[in-house]
Amino acid sequence: MRRRVAQVLTGVVLAVAATRVWSGVPAMARAFTHAEGEGAAAAVQGGHVGFIAEGQSIAADKAATVNLHFRVDPGFHINSHTPKSDMLIPTRLVVAMVAGDPEVTAVDFPVGTPFAFAFEPKQKLDVYQGDVVLTAHVKAAAGQHSLKAELHYQACDQAACYPPKTLAIEQPFTAK
Amino acid sequence: MRNAIVGGLIVLVVALLVWSGMHNLRTRRAQEAKARDQQMTIAVDKKGATATTSAEGETIADLRGKPAAVFTLTSNTGKRVSLNDYNGKPVLLNFWATWCTPCKVEMPWFQDFQKKYAAQGLQVIGINEDDDAQSTEVKDQIKKTLERTGVDYTILMSDKAVGDAYGGLDVLPATFFIDRSGKIVAQAIGLASKDEAERNVQKITAGS
Repeated sequence: MRRRVAQVLTGVVLAVAATRVWSGVPAMARAFTHAEGEGAAAAVQGGHVGFIAEGQSIAADKAATVNLHFRVDPGFHINSHTPKSDMLIPTRLVVAMVAGDPEVTAVDFPVGTPFAFAFEPKQKLDVYQGDVVLTAHVKAAAGQHSLKAELHYQACDQAACYPPKTLAIEQPFTAK
Repeated sequence: MRNAIVGGLIVLVVALLVWSGMHNLRTRRAQEAKARDQQMTIAVDKKGATATTSAEGETIADLRGKPAAVFTLTSNTGKRVSLNDYNGKPVLLNFWATWCTPCKVEMPWFQDFQKKYAAQGLQVIGINEDDDAQSTEVKDQIKKTLERTGVDYTILMSDKAVGDAYGGLDVLPATFFIDRSGKIVAQAIGLASKDEAERNVQKITAGS
């Protein structure tokens, strides 16, 4: 009987402890946990845009893709790579081509989301909000690699805009 | 007896889980509220001002009640213009850029104010904050923006130092309402409503 009571109590304590520990983990770190086993995730933050460097693996010596995961802060947006006005600054990615690094042959941008400021509902913009994943096309020999690039973007919220920014990123990946 | 202990334990488990859940919910709500506060860019603190805090939590300088920093800049037509040229006149000083959509919303309002309050001596001055404003591409964009917004008031090209003198602006639009004595009476960081902007214009043109 006592053993059973002890088992139940132990279960309760563990369950509650697990709940408490989980609740204390910040949301960003929680999002990274799925990348465990493929290398640690790291994040860098620019003005209203962050980059989440999740560990990735690709097939060696074959055409493959590496994801570049950006996150725009809630309440903000950045122009897509094809904003619907020649007066707006498009989001661009400049890849650093370093000798010895794998060649990046192309980068695909996701389709933007239609957006209009409340004060200018007729003007439809094309923006990125929330998670934005760019796809880099690479071919790499077996081993550890790193894709270095700069994201050029310009952010706004619902009533104001922020000067154009550059976010330097580094995306590690393994070719197997 | 045994059933009572097991039953008691079950009640204890449920109570602990409920308490834990409630505690987590309260914590999460508090964190979300804090996050919302940090994301808030435009927050009215008192009459006459539109914003005081940027998204990163940086405090934007409250310049109300202070003398407007004097500057001398070159206009888009190549003329040297100083704030001192407008001594004794109410001035609406607006910082803007071609990439700033909210700026282009309020520029036609300021054009209207320039005409409506001309008899009271109102002077609207726009200061362009585009980088590389001397490049042909940006010059064309500035020209296009002025055409599209119908603006013909004075447009000056920033030397960046002027932005620092007005609080180190890292967000646009930013507008300062300067009275006849050269004092900043109101400021608006981010887009305010046309009515609010006009009320601020009326404050600086009053007594004409």
